[in-house]
Amino acid sequence: MTRSLLGLGMLALASMAFALALGSVTVSPADLWQVIQGEGSTLHRTLLLDLRLPRTLAAFGTGGLLAVAGALMQVLLRNPLADPYVLGLSGGAAVGALLAMLMGMGTLIISGSAFAGAMLATVLVFGLAHGTGSWTPSRLLLTGVVVAAGWGAVITLMLAITPSYKLPGMLYWLMGDVSYARSPWPAVVVLAVSVVVIMPLARNLNVLARGPMQAAALGVSVRPLEWTIYVLASLLTATAVTTAGSIGFVGLIVPHMLRLILGNDQRIILPASALAGGTLLVLADTLARTMIAPEQLPVGVITALLGVPTFLYLLHRSR
Amino acid sequence: MVSRGLNFRFALGLLIAILAHPISASEMQRCAVDDTGKKLCISAPAQRVITLSPGATELVFAAGAGDKVMAVVNYSDYPPAALELPLIGSHTRVDMEALLALNPDLVVTWVTGNPPAQVELLQELGVSTFAIEPRTFAGVSSVIERLATLAGTEPEGFAEAERFRVGIAALTQQYAGVEPIPVFYQVWEKPLMTVNNEHLIGKVLKLCGGVNVFGDMQRLIPRISAEVVLQADPDAILTGSVDGVSDDQLDEWKKYAGLAAVEKNNLFFVPASPISRPTPRLLDAIQTVCGKLESARENL
Repeated sequence: MTRSLLGLGMLALASMAFALALGSVTVSPADLWQVIQGEGSTLHRTLLLDLRLPRTLAAFGTGGLLAVAGALMQVLLRNPLADPYVLGLSGGAAVGALLAMLMGMGTLIISGSAFAGAMLATVLVFGLAHGTGSWTPSRLLLTGVVVAAGWGAVITLMLAITPSYKLPGMLYWLMGDVSYARSPWPAVVVLAVSVVVIMPLARNLNVLARGPMQAAALGVSVRPLEWTIYVLASLLTATAVTTAGSIGFVGLIVPHMLRLILGNDQRIILPASALAGGTLLVLADTLARTMIAPEQLPVGVITALLGVPTFLYLLHRSR
Repeated sequence: MVSRGLNFRFALGLLIAILAHPISASEMQRCAVDDTGKKLCISAPAQRVITLSPGATELVFAAGAGDKVMAVVNYSDYPPAALELPLIGSHTRVDMEALLALNPDLVVTWVTGNPPAQVELLQELGVSTFAIEPRTFAGVSSVIERLATLAGTEPEGFAEAERFRVGIAALTQQYAGVEPIPVFYQVWEKPLMTVNNEHLIGKVLKLCGGVNVFGDMQRLIPRISAEVVLQADPDAILTGSVDGVSDDQLDEWKKYAGLAAVEKNNLFFVPASPISRPTPRLLDAIQTVCGKLESARENL
C-alpha cells in the first residue's frame, strides 16, 4: 500500500519537473541546471523562478486540495456524485469575490472576501441543516444544493446589474484558472497540514463509510466526526477556490479514479488524492499553457480531456 | 540579484549624471500618466513595445510607434501591418513567458480588458506597464500624444492627435445644425443591448444629430427589452456588422411594420470595428453614421 503512495509521489515529482521544463519559451536542460545552481540568465531565472515554479506549486496545491475535499465530501454525504462544490461553497466564494470587485477592491481583498464568502456558505449550510430536528447526510445534501442554487441566483443578479466594464474581471474569476493565482503558499501549506491532521481519522472514516449505525456500534462518535470532516473539507475547498477560482472536475473524478485502482481505504485514498489531484492539475495546466502557445487554454478543458477517458477506461476495466 | 546590482549601478550613474548636469535630467526622463491615473516615467524612448488589446495596437501605430511594436494579442487586425506581428495570446489570457522572452520596455495594457492578476505580475517583475482606455474623443487624442511621448515619436504622434482633433471639430461643426432624429443603436441582438450617451458610440450618434432614445439610461451598455424599443419608436435603427455588410441582426424588427424605422426603411448597418474601438478610425465611423442618418432624414 505504501508502494502505491510512493509511486504516486514519484509521478507527482515527475509532473512538476515536466511543468518546470516545458513552456512557450524553450529552456534547455543545461540552462535549467544553471538556474538550479543559482546562475543562468535573467530571463531564464524569471521564467523558471517567477513564472513556472509558483504556478506549478499553485496548480499542485489547488489540485490536491480539491481532490482531498472531494474524497471527504463523498464519505460524508455517502453520495458518489458529491464534489467539493456540491454544498454551495464555490457559490459563496464567488459572491464574496464579485462583491469585492463591484466595490473596486484590489486582488488581496478580493481573495480575502472570497474566503470569507466560502466560510459564510459553510456556516449557513451548517446552521440550516442542523435545524431543530435530527440530522442526516441527505438533509445536509439537500440544504447545500438549495443554498448553492441561491448563490447561483445571486451571482447571476450581480452579473446582470454590474457596469459592463467590470464584467470581464468577474468572468475571469468565475472561470477559474491557475494563471490568476497570486501566491502558491496558502494552498500548499493548507494541503500539507490537512493531510497530516486527517490521517489519524482515516480509520474512523473507513468505518463511517459503511454507515453511521455500524460506526456508532463500533465506538466511533459519529456526529463530531462528521462535523470535523465537513469543516475540514470546507476549509480545503475555500483555500482552493481562493487560490485559482472554481476549477471543476478534479474534486469529483480523482477520488473515484483512485478508489477504482486502490480500493476504498481512506488511509490510502486521502494522501493518494492529494498527490494524484495535484499531479493531474499540474499536467493539465502545463498542457493548457503550451499546447497551442502563445494561445492559452483554460485549464478546465484539459483536466476534463485527460480525466474523462482515463476514468471511463478504469471504470470499464473494473467490471 | 544580478539585475538588482545592475539597477543599483544604473541608479548611481543616473544620480551622478543628474547632479552633474541638472538640466539634462528632464531630457532623460519621459513621463506620462495612464488612464488609471498612474504616472510612468522611463529613462529612454520605448523601443520594444507590446500591446495587450487590439485598440492599444491601433493607438500605438497611430502614435507613430508602429515599427517598435514587438508583439500583439489576437484580433489586432488594424492597421494591416499589425497582422504580420507575432502573437502573445489573447487579451484575456496572455502568454507571460512569450511576453517576457521579448524583453519589452513598454507594455500597453487595457484598463478593464486584461486580467488584473496578470498585469500586477508584470509590474512586480519590473516591466513598465501603461494602462489605456479612452472614453471620450479628447481621450483618444490625448492617449495618442502620451504614447508618442513614451515612444519618442512626438512629431508623428502629436500630428496624428491634432488631425483627429481637427477632424472631430470639423465634423461637429458640419453636423451642428442638422435636424435631430430619434435613433436606437443595437449593440447586441440576443440579449438586446444598447448604449447610453456616456458611451463613445452614444457620443458619435449625438455628433451626427441622432437623439439616442436610451441615452439617459444609467448603465453604459444597458440590457433592454424589445417592448421599450417599440414604445420609444425610433425613426432609425443602427447596428454594427463586419465591414458594415447587411446581415440578419435587424431582421427581428421587420416583424413590426408599424415601427417608424421599419416603415421608412431606416434599418442601417455600419462597420463594427471602427465604431467600437476608441481610435482615430472613429472619424470614419462618424462619417458613416452621419451619412446613414442623413439618408434616414430623407426617408422620413
